[in-house]
Amino acid sequence: MAAKKEQQLLTGPISGHAYNSDLSQLVVSDTSSTFYIYKKDAKGTFTKDKELKKHIERVKSVDWAPRTNRIVTCSGDRNAYVWNLDLESGEWKPTLVLLRIDRAATFVRWSPAEDRFAVGSGARILSICYYEEEPDWWVSKHIKKPIRSTILCIDWHPNNYLLAVGSCDFKCRVFSSALKELEDKPTTSGWMPKLSKFATLLAEFDTSEGWVHGVKFSPSGDKLAWVSHDSSVNVVEMGRQEKVFRCLVSTLPLTTVLFLSESALVCAGHDNIPSLYNLVGEEVVFGARLDVSKKKEVGGMSAMARFKQLDKTGDKEDDSKLNTTHQNAIVELRATRIQDGKVKQFSSAGQDGKVVMWDVDVLAASIGGLKI
Amino acid sequence: MAATLKPYLNAVRNTLEAAMCLENFYSQRVERHLKPEVEIRSSKEVLFTALEVCRNDKEKVLIEGSINSLRMSISIKQADEIEKILCHKFMRFMMMRAENFFILRRKPIEGYDISFLITNYHTEQMYKHKLIDFVMEFMTEIDKEISEMKLCLNARARISAENFLQSFTPANECNEEKE
Repeated sequence: MAAKKEQQLLTGPISGHAYNSDLSQLVVSDTSSTFYIYKKDAKGTFTKDKELKKHIERVKSVDWAPRTNRIVTCSGDRNAYVWNLDLESGEWKPTLVLLRIDRAATFVRWSPAEDRFAVGSGARILSICYYEEEPDWWVSKHIKKPIRSTILCIDWHPNNYLLAVGSCDFKCRVFSSALKELEDKPTTSGWMPKLSKFATLLAEFDTSEGWVHGVKFSPSGDKLAWVSHDSSVNVVEMGRQEKVFRCLVSTLPLTTVLFLSESALVCAGHDNIPSLYNLVGEEVVFGARLDVSKKKEVGGMSAMARFKQLDKTGDKEDDSKLNTTHQNAIVELRATRIQDGKVKQFSSAGQDGKVVMWDVDVLAASIGGLKI
Repeated sequence: MAATLKPYLNAVRNTLEAAMCLENFYSQRVERHLKPEVEIRSSKEVLFTALEVCRNDKEKVLIEGSINSLRMSISIKQADEIEKILCHKFMRFMMMRAENFFILRRKPIEGYDISFLITNYHTEQMYKHKLIDFVMEFMTEIDKEISEMKLCLNARARISAENFLQSFTPANECNEEKE
Protein backbone atom coordinates (compact mmCIF):
# COMPACT_ATOMS: atom_id res chain seq x y z
CA MET A 1 0.00 0.00 0.00
CA ALA A 2 1.29 3.44 -0.82
CA ALA A 3 2.16 5.96 1.85
CA LYS A 4 -0.02 8.56 0.19
CA LYS A 5 -2.73 8.74 -2.41
CA GLU A 6 -3.22 12.11 -4.03
CA GLN A 7 -5.92 13.45 -6.25
CA GLN A 8 -6.19 16.82 -7.96
CA LEU A 9 -9.84 17.68 -7.33
CA LEU A 10 -10.03 21.35 -8.23
CA THR A 11 -7.97 23.89 -10.13
CA GLY A 12 -8.32 26.44 -7.37
CA PRO A 13 -7.81 26.33 -3.62
CA ILE A 14 -9.92 24.10 -1.39
CA SER A 15 -11.28 25.97 1.63
CA GLY A 16 -12.78 22.99 3.44
CA HIS A 17 -13.36 19.27 3.07
CA ALA A 18 -15.15 16.53 5.02
CA TYR A 19 -15.89 12.83 4.60
CA ASN A 20 -18.97 10.78 5.34
CA SER A 21 -18.91 7.80 7.68
CA ASP A 22 -17.57 5.17 5.26
CA LEU A 23 -15.29 7.53 3.30
CA SER A 24 -17.24 6.89 0.12
CA GLN A 25 -18.28 10.51 -0.27
CA LEU A 26 -16.46 13.78 0.16
CA VAL A 27 -17.80 17.31 0.40
CA VAL A 28 -15.46 20.02 -0.83
CA SER A 29 -15.74 23.79 -0.97
CA ASP A 30 -13.58 26.08 -3.05
CA THR A 31 -13.41 29.82 -3.65
CA SER A 32 -16.91 30.12 -5.09
CA SER A 33 -20.35 30.07 -3.51
CA THR A 34 -21.00 26.54 -4.75
CA PHE A 35 -19.73 23.45 -2.98
CA TYR A 36 -19.40 19.94 -4.38
CA ILE A 37 -20.04 16.38 -3.28
CA TYR A 38 -17.70 13.80 -4.70
CA LYS A 39 -18.35 10.06 -4.79
CA LYS A 40 -15.67 7.42 -4.73
CA ASP A 41 -15.96 5.18 -7.78
CA ALA A 42 -14.85 1.58 -8.23
CA LYS A 43 -11.22 2.54 -8.88
CA GLY A 44 -11.00 4.54 -5.66
CA THR A 45 -10.84 8.01 -7.22
CA PHE A 46 -13.36 10.68 -6.34
CA THR A 47 -15.60 11.95 -9.12
CA LYS A 48 -17.91 14.95 -8.90
CA ASP A 49 -21.40 13.89 -8.03
CA LYS A 50 -23.38 16.97 -7.05
CA GLU A 51 -23.08 20.72 -7.11
CA LEU A 52 -24.99 22.54 -4.38
CA LYS A 53 -25.77 26.22 -4.72
CA LYS A 54 -27.41 28.22 -2.01
CA HIS A 55 -24.81 30.60 -0.66
CA ILE A 56 -24.09 33.98 -2.19
CA GLU A 57 -20.49 34.47 -1.06
CA ARG A 58 -17.53 32.09 -0.70
CA VAL A 59 -18.24 28.92 1.27
CA LYS A 60 -15.59 29.16 3.97
CA SER A 61 -16.01 25.88 5.79
CA VAL A 62 -17.89 22.55 5.58
CA ASP A 63 -18.41 19.68 8.00
CA TRP A 64 -20.11 16.29 7.64
CA ALA A 65 -21.76 14.58 10.64
CA PRO A 66 -21.09 10.89 9.93
CA ARG A 67 -23.76 9.21 12.07
CA THR A 68 -26.70 11.50 11.34
CA ASN A 69 -25.49 12.07 7.74
CA ARG A 70 -25.90 15.83 7.75
CA ILE A 71 -23.68 18.47 6.14
CA VAL A 72 -23.30 21.96 7.52
CA THR A 73 -21.77 24.77 5.45
CA CYS A 74 -21.03 28.37 6.36
CA SER A 75 -20.06 31.23 4.13
CA GLY A 76 -19.06 34.87 3.88
CA ASP A 77 -22.67 35.92 3.36
CA ARG A 78 -23.29 35.58 7.15
CA ASN A 79 -25.34 32.40 6.67
CA ALA A 80 -24.97 28.74 7.43
CA TYR A 81 -27.14 25.88 6.16
CA VAL A 82 -27.64 22.34 7.36
CA TRP A 83 -28.19 19.92 4.47
CA ASN A 84 -30.19 16.73 4.91
CA LEU A 85 -30.29 13.96 2.37
CA ASP A 86 -33.80 13.38 1.06
CA LEU A 87 -33.80 9.62 0.62
CA GLU A 88 -36.47 9.44 -2.07
CA SER A 89 -35.05 12.00 -4.44
CA GLY A 90 -31.40 11.57 -3.47
CA GLU A 91 -31.10 15.35 -3.26
CA TRP A 92 -29.62 17.36 -0.43
CA LYS A 93 -32.13 19.82 1.03
CA PRO A 94 -30.96 22.88 2.97
CA THR A 95 -32.45 23.86 6.32
CA LEU A 96 -32.25 27.42 7.58
CA VAL A 97 -29.88 28.30 10.42
CA LEU A 98 -30.53 31.54 12.34
CA LEU A 99 -27.01 32.64 13.07
CA ARG A 100 -27.81 36.30 13.82
CA ILE A 101 -24.33 37.50 12.96
CA ASP A 102 -23.53 40.57 10.92
CA ARG A 103 -20.16 39.56 9.46
CA ALA A 104 -18.83 36.56 7.54
CA ALA A 105 -19.00 33.09 9.12
CA THR A 106 -15.52 31.61 8.98
CA PHE A 107 -15.52 28.13 10.52
CA VAL A 108 -18.06 25.43 11.41
CA ARG A 109 -17.82 22.09 13.25
CA TRP A 110 -20.35 19.50 14.39
CA SER A 111 -20.11 18.45 18.01
CA PRO A 112 -19.14 14.82 18.76
CA ALA A 113 -22.76 13.85 19.51
CA GLU A 114 -23.92 15.69 16.35
CA ASP A 115 -26.82 17.41 18.08
CA ARG A 116 -25.30 20.87 17.74
CA PHE A 117 -22.62 22.71 15.84
CA ALA A 118 -20.44 25.75 16.47
CA VAL A 119 -19.90 28.56 13.95
CA GLY A 120 -17.11 31.11 14.29
CA SER A 121 -17.42 34.44 12.56
CA GLY A 122 -15.79 37.75 11.74
CA ALA A 123 -18.33 39.41 14.03
CA ARG A 124 -16.20 38.11 16.95
CA ILE A 125 -19.12 35.90 17.97
CA LEU A 126 -19.18 32.15 18.44
CA SER A 127 -22.64 30.73 17.69
CA ILE A 128 -23.70 27.37 19.11
CA CYS A 129 -26.66 26.14 17.06
CA TYR A 130 -29.19 23.48 17.95
CA TYR A 131 -32.35 22.22 16.28
CA GLU A 132 -35.86 23.35 17.10
CA GLU A 133 -38.45 20.80 16.03
CA GLU A 134 -41.53 22.99 15.59
CA PRO A 135 -40.31 25.67 13.22
CA ASP A 136 -37.85 23.26 11.54
CA TRP A 137 -34.83 25.48 11.88
CA TRP A 138 -31.61 25.73 13.83
CA VAL A 139 -31.36 28.48 16.44
CA SER A 140 -28.17 29.85 17.89
CA LYS A 141 -26.90 31.05 21.22
CA HIS A 142 -23.97 33.45 21.18
CA ILE A 143 -20.68 33.49 23.01
CA LYS A 144 -19.22 36.98 22.76
CA LYS A 145 -16.97 37.92 25.65
CA PRO A 146 -14.05 38.17 25.59
CA ILE A 147 -13.33 37.32 21.94
CA ARG A 148 -11.79 40.42 20.37
CA SER A 149 -11.26 39.47 16.73
CA THR A 150 -12.28 37.12 13.91
CA ILE A 151 -12.51 33.47 14.95
CA LEU A 152 -10.27 31.29 12.80
CA CYS A 153 -10.75 27.77 14.19
CA ILE A 154 -12.89 25.74 16.60
CA ASP A 155 -12.59 22.28 18.11
CA TRP A 156 -15.04 20.37 20.31
CA HIS A 157 -14.01 18.39 23.37
CA PRO A 158 -15.19 14.73 23.34
CA ASN A 159 -17.68 15.48 26.16
CA ASN A 160 -19.82 17.51 23.75
CA TYR A 161 -20.11 20.72 25.76
CA LEU A 162 -16.61 22.17 25.96
CA LEU A 163 -14.94 23.80 23.02
CA ALA A 164 -11.68 25.50 22.15
CA VAL A 165 -11.55 28.57 19.94
CA GLY A 166 -8.57 30.17 18.18
CA SER A 167 -8.88 33.70 16.86
CA CYS A 168 -7.07 36.61 15.27
CA ASP A 169 -6.44 38.30 18.61
CA PHE A 170 -3.57 35.79 19.17
CA LYS A 171 -5.38 33.87 21.92
CA CYS A 172 -6.67 30.34 22.29
CA ARG A 173 -9.65 30.02 24.64
CA VAL A 174 -11.76 27.21 26.11
CA PHE A 175 -15.47 27.84 26.68
CA SER A 176 -18.29 25.92 28.25
CA SER A 177 -21.39 25.57 26.13
CA ALA A 178 -23.64 23.38 28.25
CA LEU A 179 -27.17 23.98 27.00
CA LYS A 180 -30.24 23.65 29.23
CA GLU A 181 -32.39 23.39 26.09
CA LEU A 182 -30.68 20.16 25.14
CA GLU A 183 -30.68 18.82 28.70
CA ASP A 184 -26.93 18.75 29.08
CA LYS A 185 -25.67 17.29 32.33
CA PRO A 186 -22.13 18.56 32.56
CA THR A 187 -19.69 17.09 35.05
CA THR A 188 -16.66 18.79 36.50
CA SER A 189 -13.30 17.99 35.00
CA GLY A 190 -9.82 19.45 34.74
CA TRP A 191 -11.08 22.00 32.23
CA MET A 192 -14.17 22.91 34.25
CA PRO A 193 -13.40 22.66 37.98
CA LYS A 194 -16.83 23.98 38.99
CA LEU A 195 -20.05 23.67 37.04
CA SER A 196 -20.28 26.69 34.76
CA LYS A 197 -23.11 27.94 32.71
CA PHE A 198 -23.17 28.61 29.00
CA ALA A 199 -20.52 31.00 27.62
CA THR A 200 -18.19 30.85 30.61
CA LEU A 201 -14.57 31.37 29.71
CA LEU A 202 -12.74 28.44 31.27
CA ALA A 203 -9.20 29.08 30.04
CA GLU A 204 -7.34 31.62 27.97
CA PHE A 205 -3.85 31.04 26.58
CA ASP A 206 -1.85 33.90 25.13
CA THR A 207 1.57 32.40 24.48
CA SER A 208 1.17 32.92 20.75
CA GLU A 209 2.39 36.04 19.02
CA GLY A 210 0.45 35.33 15.86
CA TRP A 211 -3.07 34.53 14.71
CA VAL A 212 -4.18 31.11 15.93
CA HIS A 213 -4.88 29.14 12.76
CA GLY A 214 -5.65 25.67 14.08
CA VAL A 215 -6.74 24.20 17.40
CA LYS A 216 -7.35 20.57 18.44
CA PHE A 217 -8.16 18.55 21.56
CA SER A 218 -6.35 15.23 21.96
CA PRO A 219 -8.49 12.07 21.59
CA SER A 220 -9.16 11.88 25.34
CA GLY A 221 -9.65 15.63 25.65
CA ASP A 222 -6.91 16.00 28.25
CA LYS A 223 -4.54 17.97 26.06
CA LEU A 224 -5.09 20.96 23.81
CA ALA A 225 -2.80 21.86 20.92
CA TRP A 226 -2.81 24.93 18.73
CA VAL A 227 -0.69 26.32 15.91
CA SER A 228 -0.28 29.98 15.14
CA HIS A 229 1.21 32.39 12.65
CA ASP A 230 4.36 32.95 14.68
CA SER A 231 5.46 29.49 13.46
CA SER A 232 4.84 27.78 16.77
CA VAL A 233 3.17 24.60 18.00
CA ASN A 234 1.71 24.97 21.51
CA VAL A 235 0.36 22.18 23.73
CA VAL A 236 -1.17 22.46 27.17
CA GLU A 237 -2.35 19.78 29.57
CA MET A 238 -5.66 19.98 31.39
CA GLY A 239 -4.08 19.33 34.75
CA ARG A 240 -1.37 21.97 34.45
CA GLN A 241 -2.73 24.94 32.58
CA GLU A 242 -0.05 27.43 33.59
CA LYS A 243 2.64 25.61 31.65
CA VAL A 244 2.26 25.72 27.88
CA PHE A 245 4.71 23.50 25.94
CA ARG A 246 5.86 25.51 22.99
CA CYS A 247 7.99 24.61 20.02
CA LEU A 248 9.10 26.98 17.28
CA VAL A 249 9.01 25.54 13.80
CA SER A 250 11.89 26.25 11.45
CA THR A 251 9.64 26.70 8.41
CA LEU A 252 6.78 28.95 7.40
CA PRO A 253 3.70 29.20 9.68
CA LEU A 254 1.46 26.19 10.25
CA THR A 255 -2.27 26.36 9.71
CA THR A 256 -3.72 23.07 10.90
CA VAL A 257 -3.04 20.42 13.53
CA LEU A 258 -4.30 16.88 14.18
CA PHE A 259 -3.57 14.48 17.06
CA LEU A 260 -2.52 11.00 15.88
CA SER A 261 -2.47 9.66 19.43
CA GLU A 262 -2.08 11.20 22.90
CA SER A 263 1.56 12.02 22.34
CA ALA A 264 1.96 12.55 18.60
CA LEU A 265 0.60 15.32 16.44
CA VAL A 266 0.72 16.11 12.75
CA CYS A 267 0.90 19.75 11.72
CA ALA A 268 0.77 21.25 8.25
CA GLY A 269 0.69 24.71 6.79
CA HIS A 270 2.49 27.09 4.48
CA ASP A 271 5.48 24.78 4.16
CA ASN A 272 3.26 22.45 2.07
CA ILE A 273 4.07 19.23 3.97
CA PRO A 274 2.61 17.44 7.00
CA SER A 275 5.18 17.11 9.80
CA LEU A 276 5.10 14.94 12.85
CA TYR A 277 5.69 16.35 16.33
CA ASN A 278 6.04 14.27 19.49
CA LEU A 279 5.23 15.19 23.07
CA VAL A 280 8.27 14.04 24.97
CA GLY A 281 7.98 14.71 28.68
CA GLU A 282 7.52 18.44 28.96
CA GLU A 283 8.48 19.38 25.45
CA VAL A 284 7.10 19.35 21.97
CA VAL A 285 9.79 17.90 19.75
CA PHE A 286 9.96 17.77 15.98
CA GLY A 287 9.62 14.17 14.79
CA ALA A 288 9.90 14.00 11.02
CA ARG A 289 8.72 15.41 7.73
CA LEU A 290 6.03 13.10 6.49
CA ASP A 291 6.40 14.05 2.84
CA VAL A 292 9.62 12.54 1.60
CA SER A 293 10.54 14.57 -1.45
CA LYS A 294 11.71 12.92 -4.61
CA LYS A 295 15.16 14.06 -5.61
CA LYS A 296 15.24 16.21 -8.74
CA GLU A 297 16.84 14.46 -11.73
CA VAL A 298 20.57 14.90 -11.65
CA GLY A 299 22.42 15.88 -14.80
CA GLY A 300 20.13 18.62 -16.02
CA MET A 301 18.43 18.71 -19.37
CA SER A 302 19.78 18.02 -22.80
CA ALA A 303 20.86 21.01 -24.91
CA MET A 304 17.84 20.59 -27.17
CA ALA A 305 15.45 20.59 -24.19
CA ARG A 306 17.18 23.62 -22.74
CA PHE A 307 16.74 25.69 -25.89
CA LYS A 308 13.15 24.55 -26.24
CA GLN A 309 12.50 25.71 -22.69
CA LEU A 310 14.21 29.03 -23.35
CA ASP A 311 12.11 29.53 -26.45
CA LYS A 312 8.86 28.64 -24.74
CA THR A 313 9.08 30.41 -21.42
CA GLY A 314 12.17 32.61 -21.57
CA ASP A 315 13.59 30.68 -18.64
CA LYS A 316 16.46 28.22 -18.85
CA GLU A 317 14.94 25.71 -16.41
CA ASP A 318 11.41 24.66 -15.70
CA ASP A 319 11.41 24.88 -11.93
CA SER A 320 7.77 25.86 -11.41
CA LYS A 321 6.84 22.49 -9.91
CA LEU A 322 7.81 22.16 -6.26
CA ASN A 323 9.14 18.81 -5.09
CA THR A 324 6.49 18.45 -2.37
CA THR A 325 3.18 16.65 -2.87
CA HIS A 326 1.15 19.76 -2.25
CA GLN A 327 2.14 22.66 -4.51
CA ASN A 328 0.65 25.28 -2.23
CA ALA A 329 -0.18 25.62 1.47
CA ILE A 330 -2.12 22.84 3.23
CA VAL A 331 -5.38 24.21 4.60
CA GLU A 332 -7.04 21.35 6.49
CA LEU A 333 -6.17 17.96 7.97
CA ARG A 334 -8.91 15.42 8.71
CA ALA A 335 -8.63 12.07 10.46
CA THR A 336 -10.27 9.50 8.21
CA ARG A 337 -9.61 6.15 9.88
CA ILE A 338 -9.30 5.73 13.65
CA GLN A 339 -8.36 2.40 15.27
CA ASP A 340 -8.00 1.89 19.05
CA GLY A 341 -7.98 5.61 19.63
CA LYS A 342 -5.10 6.19 17.21
CA VAL A 343 -5.46 7.80 13.81
CA LYS A 344 -4.40 5.36 11.10
CA GLN A 345 -5.13 7.48 8.06
CA PHE A 346 -5.61 11.20 7.56
CA SER A 347 -6.31 13.42 4.61
CA SER A 348 -4.96 16.85 3.73
CA ALA A 349 -6.54 19.46 1.47
CA GLY A 350 -4.52 22.31 0.07
CA GLN A 351 -4.65 25.63 -1.72
CA ASP A 352 -3.48 23.81 -4.85
CA GLY A 353 -6.83 21.98 -5.11
CA LYS A 354 -5.37 18.58 -4.14
CA VAL A 355 -6.68 16.12 -1.57
CA VAL A 356 -4.07 13.63 -0.36
CA MET A 357 -4.72 10.58 1.87
CA TRP A 358 -1.78 9.69 4.10
CA ASP A 359 -1.42 6.24 5.61
CA VAL A 360 0.22 6.43 9.03
CA ASP A 361 1.49 2.83 9.28
CA VAL A 362 3.14 2.87 5.86
CA LEU A 363 4.73 6.25 6.64
CA ALA A 364 6.02 4.93 9.96
CA ALA A 365 7.60 1.98 8.19
CA SER A 366 9.18 3.99 5.39
CA ILE A 367 10.57 6.87 7.47
CA GLY A 368 12.99 5.37 9.94
CA GLY A 369 12.84 6.25 13.61
CA LEU A 370 9.27 7.51 13.55
CA LYS A 371 7.52 7.28 16.91
CA ILE A 372 3.77 7.57 16.90
CA MET B 1 29.17 47.85 -3.83
CA ALA B 2 28.60 44.38 -5.18
CA ALA B 3 29.34 42.95 -1.75
CA THR B 4 26.15 44.44 -0.32
CA LEU B 5 23.94 43.25 -3.15
CA LYS B 6 23.67 39.55 -2.29
CA PRO B 7 22.81 39.94 1.42
CA TYR B 8 20.36 42.71 0.50
CA LEU B 9 18.54 40.51 -2.01
CA ASN B 10 18.57 37.55 0.38
CA ALA B 11 17.03 39.64 3.15
CA VAL B 12 14.30 40.89 0.80
CA ARG B 13 13.61 37.38 -0.49
CA ASN B 14 13.30 35.88 3.00
CA THR B 15 11.01 38.68 4.15
CA LEU B 16 8.81 38.22 1.08
CA GLU B 17 8.58 34.46 1.66
CA ALA B 18 7.43 35.02 5.22
CA ALA B 19 5.02 37.81 4.33
CA MET B 20 3.44 35.92 1.46
CA CYS B 21 1.58 33.43 3.68
CA LEU B 22 -1.80 34.89 2.75
CA GLU B 23 -5.29 33.58 3.22
CA ASN B 24 -8.79 34.72 2.38
CA PHE B 25 -10.16 37.08 5.05
CA TYR B 26 -13.52 38.81 5.10
CA SER B 27 -13.50 42.35 6.47
CA GLN B 28 -14.38 42.78 10.13
CA ARG B 29 -15.66 46.31 9.59
CA VAL B 30 -18.01 46.00 6.64
CA GLU B 31 -20.15 42.98 5.96
CA ARG B 32 -19.52 40.93 2.85
CA HIS B 33 -16.44 42.96 1.99
CA LEU B 34 -13.24 41.25 0.93
CA LYS B 35 -10.60 43.94 0.59
CA PRO B 36 -6.80 43.89 0.97
CA GLU B 37 -6.31 44.64 4.66
CA VAL B 38 -2.93 46.27 4.02
CA GLU B 39 -4.69 48.99 2.02
CA ILE B 40 -7.75 49.44 4.19
CA ARG B 41 -5.81 49.27 7.49
CA SER B 42 -9.00 49.11 9.52
CA SER B 43 -8.15 46.35 12.04
CA LYS B 44 -4.79 46.64 13.73
CA GLU B 45 -4.53 42.99 14.77
CA VAL B 46 -4.41 41.63 11.22
CA LEU B 47 -1.60 43.93 10.11
CA PHE B 48 2.10 43.19 10.34
CA THR B 49 4.73 45.70 11.44
CA ALA B 50 6.22 47.30 8.33
CA LEU B 51 9.77 46.22 7.58
CA GLU B 52 12.29 48.32 5.70
CA VAL B 53 15.34 46.63 4.17
CA CYS B 54 17.97 49.21 3.26
CA ARG B 55 21.04 48.70 1.15
CA ASN B 56 22.14 52.30 1.66
CA ASP B 57 20.19 55.48 2.23
CA LYS B 58 19.17 55.71 -1.44
CA GLU B 59 18.15 52.09 -2.14
CA LYS B 60 15.55 50.51 0.10
CA VAL B 61 12.52 48.27 0.11
CA LEU B 62 9.47 48.66 2.38
CA ILE B 63 7.44 45.51 2.98
CA GLU B 64 4.05 45.88 4.68
CA GLY B 65 2.07 42.72 5.27
CA SER B 66 -1.31 41.63 6.57
CA ILE B 67 -3.42 38.50 6.73
CA ASN B 68 -4.63 38.66 3.13
CA SER B 69 -2.32 41.04 1.30
CA LEU B 70 1.20 42.33 1.04
CA ARG B 71 2.51 45.66 -0.20
CA MET B 72 6.11 46.04 -1.31
CA SER B 73 7.56 49.44 -2.25
CA ILE B 74 10.95 49.86 -3.87
CA SER B 75 13.14 52.94 -3.88
CA ILE B 76 15.49 52.74 -6.87
CA LYS B 77 19.02 54.14 -6.97
CA GLN B 78 19.02 57.43 -8.87
CA ALA B 79 22.45 58.97 -8.92
CA ASP B 80 21.91 62.07 -11.08
CA GLU B 81 19.21 64.13 -12.76
CA ILE B 82 19.15 62.03 -15.93
CA GLU B 83 18.59 58.83 -13.96
CA LYS B 84 15.85 60.51 -11.94
CA ILE B 85 13.97 61.48 -15.11
CA LEU B 86 14.51 58.08 -16.73
CA CYS B 87 13.38 56.22 -13.65
CA HIS B 88 10.31 58.38 -13.23
CA LYS B 89 9.26 57.89 -16.85
CA PHE B 90 9.97 54.15 -16.85
CA MET B 91 7.99 53.57 -13.66
CA ARG B 92 5.13 55.69 -14.93
CA PHE B 93 5.04 53.66 -18.15
CA MET B 94 4.66 50.45 -16.20
CA MET B 95 2.22 51.79 -13.63
CA MET B 96 -0.13 53.04 -16.33
CA ARG B 97 -0.34 49.42 -17.54
CA ALA B 98 -0.80 48.00 -14.03
CA GLU B 99 -3.74 45.74 -14.99
CA ASN B 100 -1.54 43.67 -17.24
CA PHE B 101 1.03 43.28 -14.49
CA PHE B 102 -1.59 42.02 -11.96
CA ILE B 103 0.55 42.63 -8.93
CA LEU B 104 1.59 46.21 -9.67
CA ARG B 105 0.01 49.11 -7.80
CA ARG B 106 -1.10 52.13 -9.84
CA LYS B 107 0.47 54.65 -7.51
CA PRO B 108 3.66 54.20 -5.51
CA ILE B 109 3.67 54.77 -1.77
CA GLU B 110 4.99 58.19 -0.63
CA GLY B 111 8.76 58.24 -0.68
CA TYR B 112 9.19 55.26 -3.01
CA ASP B 113 9.35 54.81 -6.76
CA ILE B 114 7.19 51.75 -7.40
CA SER B 115 4.85 49.56 -5.35
CA PHE B 116 3.52 46.02 -5.67
CA LEU B 117 0.28 44.83 -4.10
CA ILE B 118 0.03 41.04 -3.80
CA THR B 119 -3.25 39.64 -2.46
CA ASN B 120 -4.46 36.16 -1.54
CA TYR B 121 -6.12 36.00 -4.99
CA HIS B 122 -2.68 36.16 -6.59
CA THR B 123 -1.19 33.47 -4.36
CA GLU B 124 -4.24 31.30 -5.05
CA GLN B 125 -3.86 31.59 -8.81
CA MET B 126 -0.09 31.76 -9.17
CA TYR B 127 2.86 29.93 -7.64
CA LYS B 128 4.20 31.77 -4.60
CA HIS B 129 7.83 30.97 -5.30
CA LYS B 130 7.46 32.19 -8.89
CA LEU B 131 5.92 35.46 -7.71
CA ILE B 132 8.89 35.98 -5.44
CA ASP B 133 11.28 35.13 -8.29
CA PHE B 134 9.55 37.71 -10.46
CA VAL B 135 9.83 40.47 -7.88
CA MET B 136 13.49 39.67 -7.15
CA GLU B 137 14.32 39.63 -10.86
CA PHE B 138 12.55 42.96 -11.24
CA MET B 139 14.69 44.47 -8.52
CA THR B 140 17.96 43.24 -10.01
CA GLU B 141 17.09 44.11 -13.60
CA ILE B 142 15.73 47.59 -13.00
CA ASP B 143 19.14 49.08 -12.19
CA LYS B 144 20.66 47.48 -15.28
CA GLU B 145 17.88 48.75 -17.51
CA ILE B 146 18.14 52.31 -16.25
CA SER B 147 21.92 52.33 -16.75
CA GLU B 148 21.48 50.96 -20.26
CA MET B 149 18.91 53.63 -21.06
CA LYS B 150 21.23 56.29 -19.72
CA LEU B 151 24.08 55.02 -21.92
CA CYS B 152 21.84 54.97 -24.99
CA LEU B 153 20.63 58.44 -24.14
CA ASN B 154 24.15 59.79 -23.82
CA ALA B 155 25.27 58.08 -27.03
CA ARG B 156 22.34 59.51 -28.98
CA ALA B 157 22.88 62.93 -27.49
CA ARG B 158 26.53 62.83 -28.53
CA ILE B 159 25.78 61.69 -32.09
CA SER B 160 23.00 64.22 -32.65
CA ALA B 161 25.11 67.05 -31.18
CA GLU B 162 28.01 66.06 -33.45
CA ASN B 163 25.80 66.07 -36.54
CA PHE B 164 24.22 69.36 -35.59
CA LEU B 165 27.49 71.12 -34.88
CA GLN B 166 29.10 69.87 -38.11
CA SER B 167 27.11 72.51 -39.99
CA PHE B 168 28.95 75.17 -37.97
CA THR B 169 32.53 74.02 -38.69
CA PRO B 170 34.68 76.28 -41.02
CA ALA B 171 35.97 75.23 -44.55
CA ASN B 172 37.04 71.66 -45.35
CA GLU B 173 40.85 72.41 -45.20
CA CYS B 174 40.71 72.56 -41.43
CA ASN B 175 39.02 69.11 -41.32
CA GLU B 176 41.65 67.56 -43.60
CA GLU B 177 44.45 69.01 -41.47
CA LYS B 178 42.93 67.44 -38.38
CA GLU B 179 42.77 64.04 -40.02
